[in-house]
Amino acid sequence: MIPSDHFTRFYNEVFKFLESQGEAALQAYWLAISENQDRHTLDLFREKGLAGMRDYWEHIRIEENCDLDLELFEDRLELRMNACPSLGKVMDNDATAMDRYCDHCAGWIGPIMDKLGYHLVYDVIDRKKPQCFMQIFKDPEQALAAEKKAKLLMGWPGRAKN
Amino acid sequence: MITADDKPLRYNEGGNVHMDFHGATDTTIEFIIKHYGIGVMDKIFARVGKEVYADIRRHLMAGNAGELVKHWRHFFDREGADYDIEIDDDRIVLTVRHCPAYHHVQKITGQVSDHFCDQTIKTNQALAEGGPFSIETEITGPGACRQIIAKRPARS
Repeated sequence: MIPSDHFTRFYNEVFKFLESQGEAALQAYWLAISENQDRHTLDLFREKGLAGMRDYWEHIRIEENCDLDLELFEDRLELRMNACPSLGKVMDNDATAMDRYCDHCAGWIGPIMDKLGYHLVYDVIDRKKPQCFMQIFKDPEQALAAEKKAKLLMGWPGRAKN
Repeated sequence: MITADDKPLRYNEGGNVHMDFHGATDTTIEFIIKHYGIGVMDKIFARVGKEVYADIRRHLMAGNAGELVKHWRHFFDREGADYDIEIDDDRIVLTVRHCPAYHHVQKITGQVSDHFCDQTIKTNQALAEGGPFSIETEITGPGACRQIIAKRPARS
């Protein structure tokens, strides 16, 4: 058993192989992971909207031992990751870290938001630091405005224009 | 076979446990085998065994299986496995009666990849490759296995 604690280091090895196969290979994998995540998110997000998303990431905050702040507004959800355990473990690793490790998060979350008609703005800020800022909007115009403020904006497979 | 020490494991996580990662491992195994074949999946597990777990491998190469035993105890305890470990002069046997990874995937997806346990079999092989021990993994049932660390016969 690869312990669940070490999944991200395994994930990192998978990313390194897929990156060697090209961008389409990475994107196809993120989509597969996104579909895997449907079972944990879609019904909750459809039923409770932004509040359901807040509940999901609150559950993740606890189970994955994240240092993050979640703030729910009428028109958006904001998640500010202060210390990401996923990238943190990949950096604290005897194997080398994949340079674009952070890209997978928008890679799986974005397609779910596209399915549901929400608008994701994912600012990784700096791929070498375990922190990021995610916003999910109801209104595409607000998302477009937020994108302009991002330092390192992430895309995802089949990205719908905000 | 074991040199005891008080040092913490190289990876010594505490806190809460996110069991759903095992579902993502299952999805990953199916994805890689479907698109690239089982040989590629095996190579990725070998990299996990040799590079991610370089510290456990270093101990094994030096003739000390204690770090792997410590790793088993720490992570099987964290995930609530039903297991025991028997240690004697020539071999160490880990018997897993209830693998938390396998059973969690079974619970959340209803089916587990036929290759799910390759993560154990192939990673164990990579950990031991070229060293003084063999590590054999026998699957004894759904979510159950026996992992045996044994001294390789001395070359004459």
